[in-house]
Amino acid sequence: MKMTPALLILGGLLVFWTSVFIAIFLPAMTMRETPSDIWQPWTAEQSAGHDLYVANGCSYCHSQFVRVFDSGHGANRVSQIGDWYDQTPAILGTERTGPDLSLEGGEHPDDWHIAHFVNPRNTRPQSLMPSWEFLGHDNIHKLTALMQSQGGLLAKRRMDGEQTDGSGGQNYWKAQATAAFEAGPDANIQWLHENVAAPWRAMPNPYQADQAALGRGQLYYQQFCIGCHGSVGDGQTPAAKYIYPPPLNFTELDGRLWQGKYIGGIFYYQVMNGITGTAMPYFKRELESEKIWDVSNYVAVRFLGYTDAGLYPYGIGVSYEDPSWRNPYLVSPATQPAGRPAAAPARSPQ
Amino acid sequence: MKRLWEHIGQTNSASAAYLVAGAVWFFVGASYGLTTAIHLVSPELFNNIPWLVFGRTRPIHVNTVIYGFVVSAGVGAALHYVPALLKTRLWSERLGWLSWLFWQAAVVSGPICFSLGITQGREYAEYTFPFDCCVMATLLLLLVNLVMTVANRTEKSLYVSVWYILGMALWTAGVYPIGNVMWNPPSGALPGLLDSVFLWFYGHNLVGLLLTPAALASAYYVIPRICKTPLYSHTLSLVGFWALAAIYTHIGGHHILQAPIPNWLKTLSVVDSMAMIVPVLTVLVNLWLTARGRFGMLWNDIAGRWVLVGTLWYLVTCIQGPIQSLPSVQKITHFSNWTIGHAHIAVLGFSGFIALGAMWHVLPAVAGREIWSRRLLHIQFGLMMFGLAGFFAVLTTAGLIQGHAWYNGETEYRVLPEIAPYMALRAMLGLFIIAGALLGLINVILTFTRGPRLAPPVEIVRPAPTGQGVAL
Ligand code: HEM
Ligand code: HEM
Repeated sequence: MKMTPALLILGGLLVFWTSVFIAIFLPAMTMRETPSDIWQPWTAEQSAGHDLYVANGCSYCHSQFVRVFDSGHGANRVSQIGDWYDQTPAILGTERTGPDLSLEGGEHPDDWHIAHFVNPRNTRPQSLMPSWEFLGHDNIHKLTALMQSQGGLLAKRRMDGEQTDGSGGQNYWKAQATAAFEAGPDANIQWLHENVAAPWRAMPNPYQADQAALGRGQLYYQQFCIGCHGSVGDGQTPAAKYIYPPPLNFTELDGRLWQGKYIGGIFYYQVMNGITGTAMPYFKRELESEKIWDVSNYVAVRFLGYTDAGLYPYGIGVSYEDPSWRNPYLVSPATQPAGRPAAAPARSPQ
Repeated sequence: MKRLWEHIGQTNSASAAYLVAGAVWFFVGASYGLTTAIHLVSPELFNNIPWLVFGRTRPIHVNTVIYGFVVSAGVGAALHYVPALLKTRLWSERLGWLSWLFWQAAVVSGPICFSLGITQGREYAEYTFPFDCCVMATLLLLLVNLVMTVANRTEKSLYVSVWYILGMALWTAGVYPIGNVMWNPPSGALPGLLDSVFLWFYGHNLVGLLLTPAALASAYYVIPRICKTPLYSHTLSLVGFWALAAIYTHIGGHHILQAPIPNWLKTLSVVDSMAMIVPVLTVLVNLWLTARGRFGMLWNDIAGRWVLVGTLWYLVTCIQGPIQSLPSVQKITHFSNWTIGHAHIAVLGFSGFIALGAMWHVLPAVAGREIWSRRLLHIQFGLMMFGLAGFFAVLTTAGLIQGHAWYNGETEYRVLPEIAPYMALRAMLGLFIIAGALLGLINVILTFTRGPRLAPPVEIVRPAPTGQGVAL
């Protein structure tokens, strides 16, 4: 075959446009998009948030779709074709330096987002996301509105709770948490503890609070908690400026323990599930069981000087533990709750 | 000393303008790359500086290196060798300059507009409508210029490089307006998921029908010339050329394989990503068999070394490419730095290295001067090779760590500390590439101003029998 200009140009066009027909025109003619089960139209504010999302290149780190085999943040529903109905442009993204955002709405309340946008390390100490404080208050609110719309109806349910009785959801719990906070520390801690599922309130920390465990706990605290609760656990942090109710001051727990006794299970439950309605997120997707128990022991020992690790009730001890370990953190310098033994008894069948 | 504008209209002046622009943008683009990389090491180094925020510098980096550096350098070389291969002059140097002007306007719009947040935001298609029009103007002007140059040729047969350059302009003039949804000026996008099909048709053919043909045209030109041998096979050239146009064009779906696009489109893109082995291997076999027994000549000529190594990066890229198109592989690699590694060996290693090789190869003829310092070229090559090989190793490793951790159920936030050392290494390796870009820029400028003059006019040795195989 001899390449002549005519062959080159006409042939080149023919082959190219045939291929374009397959890759572009066929999908354009056959792909029908109708709103999916969770789709919702954007409000003007959310739409303005989307413009900011596009203009500032959020899409270079965040994807906008959940895959069949995804686990972790956002993996509650696999994306379907009508999810991006009428969104222009729907940038699906090619990287996940940060988490997928397609179902972000209702994961956190607004105040968490605002603290996070101002400086992501406020709420996520190890984040690589840039600070967006320079965008200004209004724009951060628009971005927050967009975030809360991600996930359409699912996001709306997470925010508003079940339509029928108005229970659950960020907004419902925010009202409760705010009222409790405003009623003072006693009522607030009472409320926080009451809302931990009952079996957890009776459960001491089943992990020994030895030096290695406390060291690990400290590491997790620095990676996940320090931004809001601070290095001395008093909640006086830059994040606190944007968060209401503010992060808990752990030292307030002293003398206000559940029935004067346990904290292990209560901490575990709160770290695992977060406190919906407040900026306290759930960590069950970031931290596995042992890590949550370790950080619970760390917070208890570091900020209260007390932990219930190794207290009754317990069953058969775990093989790797040192049976001679005794919990040295049973005496708190502050108020001694009634019934607390001065030192852990040796384990024996009870 | 002539004033700058007096050069306009002179033979090879448009080529020179593109080459210089390429060298400048390489340095600028790589600097933005480093800025971007630093964000991923220390997110508060440029805290709250709007025009340096990651989401704005990243597209500046990507667009500047692709359109500014690789395409400018590649087209610059082509504007010299296409007329040379056709034994004629470029039809219109002035038109060449005009196309240059539009192209540079589009490229400049990157650093200016994106840093202000003025962007269409679709990856690789960020330029806004007025600048999309500039790109189209360049492509059409180039097309006219090239076609008229072909029409005025005195060499009867068309050499492979000419096919690729014509194809590049012809196809990109189709790919660009479709992929950028230019009939929808404000957003440059379609509503819904369909937009992604258009976008990745574009993103894919940007590298497949713009960068690849430009690089292959240069490789086909430089390798036989340096080896002083005829091209190995006309038939392989034909197969490689037509297969590229037929296959590459419709496999963009492999970029959105895990999104809910139609299954037939996924299947097609995976199957034909495998079929890309055909255009890739035919071209590489053709080029390497042309150089057989003479690899030493290629390696010892510093421009040839760049091209030779560029073909090796092409092989690596295009082994990696089909493999990462497989759903079972993409399950791990997608969304991770693995893809960033692929992008760098592809755009910088393959098309960038070959563009640089072609640039250094034609520069003496274009400038009428010897390269200012060949020694500097060797240093530049070493720096860039080290930097890029390091990128590939580091980014691939980081990508595998991310992909496996995510698949294992770890959240993105948990994985950040795991890739932190690799992000730091990448930023450090970037310094080598920037240093290379800077040395290259200095060398280009000094070649034009201080390079020893060649006896005019340079006799251009063309690749022997153009358009035909060994037999001729
Ligand atoms: C100093 C040297 C360079 C550094 C430090 C650098 C760094 C980066 C960074 C940080 C990104 C964004 C990655 C992310 O979002 O995670 C990126 C993307 C990219 N860079 Fe570079 N780069 C450099 C040179 C180059 C050169 C010379 C080229 C091409 C000739 C290039 C082509 C690209 C491309 C195509 C992308 C987009 C990748 C994708 O989206 O998959 N880079 N680079
Ligand atoms: C046999 C040929 C090739 C195949 C089958 C192929 C395949 C792929 C696939 C599947 C991806 C997406 C990976 C993912 O997102 O998980 C990708 C990304 C990419 N490829 Fe290739 N590739 C090939 C050659 C090339 C060449 C020659 C270039 C450049 C000249 C190139 C440049 C890129 C770039 C820049 C990206 C990053 C896109 C993004 O930002 O996500 N590829 N390639």
